[in-house]
Formats: sequence, structure tokens, C-alpha cells
Amino acid sequence: MAAKAGAAPATYSPSPTANKKNRPPIFTDIDWIRPDGRDFHQCRPAFLRTGAVNAASGSAYAEFGNTKVIVSIFGPRESKKAMMYSDIGRLNCNVSYTTFSTPVRGQALDNKDISSQLHKSLEGAIMLDTFPKTTVDVFALVLESGGCDLPVVISCASLALADAGIMMYDLVAAVSVSCLGKNLVIDPVSEEENYQDGSLMITCLPSRNEVTQLTITGEWSTPKIHEAMELCLDACSKLGKIMRSCLKESASTSQE
Amino acid sequence: MVGLSVGEKHFIQGGIAQDLRTDGRKRLTYRPIFVETGVIAQANGSARVKFGGTEVIASVKAELGRPSSSAPDKGKVSIFVDCSPTAAPQFEGRGGEELSMELSAALRQCLLGGKSGAGAGINLSSLSIVDGKVCWDLYIDGLVISMDGNVLDALGAAIKAALSNTGIPKVNIASASTPDEQPEVDVSDEEFLQFDTTALPVIVTLTKVGRHYIVDATSEEESQMSSAVSISVNRQGLICGLTKRGGAGLDPSVILDMISVAKHVSEQLMNKLDSEIAAAEAAMEEDS
Amino acid sequence: MEFVSPEGLRLDGRRPMEMRQLRAELGAVSRADGSAIFEMGNTKVIAAVYGPREVQHRGQQLNDKALIRCEYTMANFSTGDRMRRPKGDRRSTEISLVIRQTMEACIMTHLMPHSQIDIFVQVLQADGGTRSACINAATLALADAGIPMCDLVTSCSAGYLNTTPLLDLNYVEDSAGGPDVTVGILPKLDKVTLLQMDAKLPMDIFENVMQLATEGCKAVANYIREVLMENTKQLENRRGV
Repeated sequence: MAAKAGAAPATYSPSPTANKKNRPPIFTDIDWIRPDGRDFHQCRPAFLRTGAVNAASGSAYAEFGNTKVIVSIFGPRESKKAMMYSDIGRLNCNVSYTTFSTPVRGQALDNKDISSQLHKSLEGAIMLDTFPKTTVDVFALVLESGGCDLPVVISCASLALADAGIMMYDLVAAVSVSCLGKNLVIDPVSEEENYQDGSLMITCLPSRNEVTQLTITGEWSTPKIHEAMELCLDACSKLGKIMRSCLKESASTSQE
Repeated sequence: MVGLSVGEKHFIQGGIAQDLRTDGRKRLTYRPIFVETGVIAQANGSARVKFGGTEVIASVKAELGRPSSSAPDKGKVSIFVDCSPTAAPQFEGRGGEELSMELSAALRQCLLGGKSGAGAGINLSSLSIVDGKVCWDLYIDGLVISMDGNVLDALGAAIKAALSNTGIPKVNIASASTPDEQPEVDVSDEEFLQFDTTALPVIVTLTKVGRHYIVDATSEEESQMSSAVSISVNRQGLICGLTKRGGAGLDPSVILDMISVAKHVSEQLMNKLDSEIAAAEAAMEEDS
Repeated sequence: MEFVSPEGLRLDGRRPMEMRQLRAELGAVSRADGSAIFEMGNTKVIAAVYGPREVQHRGQQLNDKALIRCEYTMANFSTGDRMRRPKGDRRSTEISLVIRQTMEACIMTHLMPHSQIDIFVQVLQADGGTRSACINAATLALADAGIPMCDLVTSCSAGYLNTTPLLDLNYVEDSAGGPDVTVGILPKLDKVTLLQMDAKLPMDIFENVMQLATEGCKAVANYIREVLMENTKQLENRRGV
């Protein structure tokens, strides 16, 4: 933790407008060093903890480099009266950004869009038929936006759902890659995201090898999609293991 | 929501499994496509597109604006979709907002490319007039009038047709002003530049019902889907965007297979659409 | 500003008592029970009717007649300058109410108790007289849906500019701020169901203007009747009668 915090200011650009005029030359070369010194195919160290919010039925905190997210789960509780009867449970997702999450105050992305993406990624993993007539609320708060916000929110949310004891087929792990020039860069930081030519995000159930959501932006050829998907799926399975061990750890400490 | 009995559901699923759908189509056949351009007189370009019972209108309006500070040499494009309550009673009041938002987001993703602008169907640099001072703001509005499945593909096609129909007025920049001043521009009433749409992708949505996928699903078929993948493909056969709907997970190999099927289908759709647009343009010229 | 030239021609080349070109088409929305497109010059509206069907909110159910609901929406691209307007603003709510009340007067609601009829009107292009165009489109859509009505309501507007009564105002004439009379009539029964006026007019001139608008309504009624007859003939042909 301490080492990471120390390294961060050196790469973190407090005024993103200063170098926005044109893309820094490093991003167009074949070889360059990433802002935080990682390999192209190396993810940021993940820090995950469950039980961050006491009042919620389940919660989790995730920190991937500068991206910090808290997700709390409420429910399952009775659906609103106005809603029609449903024999499967409902999932209500909401992602919000703190005003200080971005370098320029209050410049966060459209959170309605992110909320619906979160919903689409999670609904395939949850056994909604185990809680009919009720609603599970997923509230995600992005404390600091440092790139790859959506994948981090999704992974963190699935951990929080597990912490809340909601039945799932598997944990949901999400990873994105950016395409910069000829290179594929996994788990991009916001600086890289700003200059990316394209991005690909996969959310998957690692042990079932099933993709619940896949989004692609930018121009991609089929071989490149193959390569990026393999990279992501590999990273997802590793992330899934980390998430699993985090859950085991919290379970064993609570037993003691 | 479509209310179907168990028998009807089996009929639809069985038909798809046997490659003979309820309306007699094969799995990868489209419904008849109808294109009419220039339907909205006040817009710079507009088109009405019908895919069977699905009907959408797209309009393009160009307004002068200031480029954003992060991209001074580029114009701006915004895409908004509205679902009219005429399409379905549940869109009454704010009921259509959720779907409208989802469709707008999907279209933006499919047509506008990555953050750096690479792979965008709409060339933003061509909308620039004076670097950092004046540019065109393109407002693309979609309106869903009648809904019978496959709305996203229809909207994509309508936007393509509307942009082909769009004439951007020629602009003359009056005298070199000092760098700080806002330059004076003179918008021509007579001369229009045809908007280049060769790079625009088409959107192909593959709906997975049972073990098979179909294109251009009707609402009845959509109610039986496990998941749907929308893929936008341009003329070079490159993928410009992809989104997935529906809860069920997919095996990665299935997705890759879907991508290759979509690439194949997109070629036919693109040619079909281009000829329909050309015919519509010709018909419009005859009228006037 | 001069709205009528010395030769007696209006800005768009019409005579004072001339209406814009009418065009109507039935069955534009495939999934609706009834639908129609109605054009008056550049003003273009789509109406769709769903129902009669079960009442959605039980609290609103009426035991002796059908519940009529109406929603008026304008497309973002319908006006000259593009605007993103919030749904359900005051103007839309007011027009929704006007249309609903006008249609309620002609639908035989007592035949369909415990049910609901939804009328949705969508303005595609607005060039003055949207209110009238919406009512005419709604009438056609209701007729297409086969909903029992005692008569076809039709509507038309008239104004008074440059000391001349003008029929069927377009947007420029409408926004000139002069008096604007919108009339809705039941042509067969010869009854007025809607009468609205902005600004002021002397009593005797008002009678003239209203007379003109009523004539306009009758012309619209003739056209609508023709369209419906034509449509019925086509349906007959298709059935092979």
C-alpha cells in the first residue's frame, strides 16, 4: 500500500488539460513505458476487502491503483408497491461518483449509463429466482476515478453480493483492455484511457468460462479481438482467484 | 411485454431450431427493408426506415458551435434517441426513458469510435471550420415510431440513411480576424457539401434463441431470447463496436462465432441498405 | 409586418380563405389498434390508439364509461431550432387535455365501461396548427381502431391579421401574436366541441373568423371521410367482397 501511494504522484497528472493538446509521442511508438511502469499485459495490484459498510447487508471495497470503489448491497427487501408481481427477484443498480473523484471537480462520467452496464453484467450471474417479489439494491460509489472504473465497480459489486449472501452462479470478474496504436494494454489508467483508440471490456464468470457482458468500442480486426479476449479472460480467471481468496479470508476471520 | 402461451413459445423456438421462422424467414434473413429520405423538411438530413413492423425516423441537424478545448480541431456529434408512446403504451410519460438511454448509448458506442476518435464512423475532423473557434455540432435524433423488434439495427440504418441525405452548408470565413476574436462566418444558403458516409458501419444484432442465433428478430422472438449481441461492422469488415444484452452468459467461443457470422451478414445488409438509400435519394429527386 | 400582400396573397402564396394541402394515411403504426398520419402543409403528426383494453391503474377505472387517456409529445426535431424539451411540460399537458376532452365528446364511452382507450399523438413537424392536426389525426386513428363514435370530430384554426380573416395559420402567422381561433366541430350534428381563442377580437369579426374556421373544419371532415371511404374500399377489395 505504502509503496503504491509513493509511486502514484509521480505518474499522476493533476492538470490533464496541460498535455491534452496532442497525444504524447510515447503512446504512438511501438515501445514505451506505461505511466505507472507496468508491462503492457500486467494488471495493477488489486486490493479487495469485504465488509466496508456496517449498515448494509453486504459490502466491499476495492482499490486497483488509483481507482477506489465502495459497493454496498441492501436487501433482498420487498419491492416497491407500485411494481408488478414478478416471480423472479429484481436487481437495482446505481453507480455514483464523488465530486472529488476526478482531477477536475464534478467532471464525472454519465453514471446512468454505467449503472445500466453494471446491471447487465451482474444479472446473468445472480440466481434471481431465489428471491421472488423482492429487490436487491446495489449502490456503488466511486471514491476516486483512476481508469477502468466500470470493471472495478463490477468486480467489487460481485464481491459485495457474495458478502451479502446473495446466491450467485459464480463471482463476476471484469477486466478491460485498451488499444493504443498497435499495442494492447490491459487494465489501463485514466491517462491511457483518454488516448485510447479502442477498448474492450469483458465481464465473465471465471469458473464457468461464461461471458456475461462484452463491450467493444473503436475499430477492431477479428484477430485483435481474439488476442484481446484471451488476454482478458486470462486476467479474469486470475482476478477471480484473488476475489475468492479475499472471501475465504474474511470468512475465516469472522469464524475466529 | 408480449404475452405468449406455452404453445406459441414452443412454436417460435421450434421454428428457429428448424431454420423456418414463424413468418417464413430463414434464421439469417431480414424482413423487407424500406427507406425514405428527406422526410423532415426542417432538418439538414432525415430518413424514415422500416424493418417490417419496426419503424424509426432519424434526423440530422447541423448547428454552428465551439469545439471543446480537448479537441480543438474536431466537431461534435451527439446522438439522442426517443421512444414515442405511439410505439408502445408503456413508453407513456417517462416510461420510454430507460430504453431511449440504452439505445442512445449503444449507438454512440457503435458509431463514434474510441476516445481518440479512431475507428469513428463519422469523421469529426471534417466538421471543423476554424480550429479551436468554430465547428459544426451535429445533432442526430432518432425517434422510434413503431416497434416490432430489432430497433437498434433499424436506428443504425436510419442514421446511415439520414447522414447520406445530409447536406452541410458551405461556410465562408470572412477576413482573418485576430487570434482571440471569434471569426465571422458566412453560412451559404445554396451550396451544400454532401456528407461522407462511406466509413459508417451497419449494426447487426444476433439474437440467441435456444442454441441458434437469428437476425432481425420480431418482438415475439425477442421475448424468447436468452441474450443478444449487437455488432457494428464497417465496409472493411472491421468491428466498430459491440454490446451484449440479456442476462444469460455466453461461452467465449460462441461470441467469436457470432462475430464471424455478423461480419458475413453485415456485407449483405450493407449492400442492400446502400441500394435502398440510393433508390430513396433518386425517388426524392424525382419528386422535387 | 405584412401578412397579406396587396394582391391578396399570404406569405406562403395562399389566398386568405385557402387551406394548406391535406394528406392522411391510415395504419402507420403496425402494432397499434389504430393509427394515422395527418399532414396539414408542413405540419405532420402521427396518432396511435391502443384499446379498448383493461384499465391499468385500478383506481382510475370508471364503472359507467370508458376511461380516455391522451398524451401529446413533440419530437426533438419537430421545430426549427432544435430543442431537447423535457417530457410533460406545461404546453404538452395542456394540449393533451384539450385533445382528450375533445375526443371524449365524440367517443361513445358508455358502450365500453371498465375499459381504457389510450390516444398517443406524436408531432413530427410543427408548422402551426398542431392542435388541429392532432385532433384530426386522433379522429382518423380512432376510426381506424374501430372505436364507436357519434361523429368524426374535425378541427381547424383561423386568425385575423392585417384586417383580413385567414384560414389555417402557419407557424409565422401563428407567432405574429394576432388572434387565433381554434374550432373543433362534429360536422354531421353541426355542433361545436372545441373553441379556443388567444388575444382579442370585436364580437362581429369574431363571428366571421369562427365561421371561417368552421368552414375549414367541414372541408377537413370531407377529406377525412374520403380517406376513410377509400380505406374501407381497399379493405373490402382485400377480402374479396
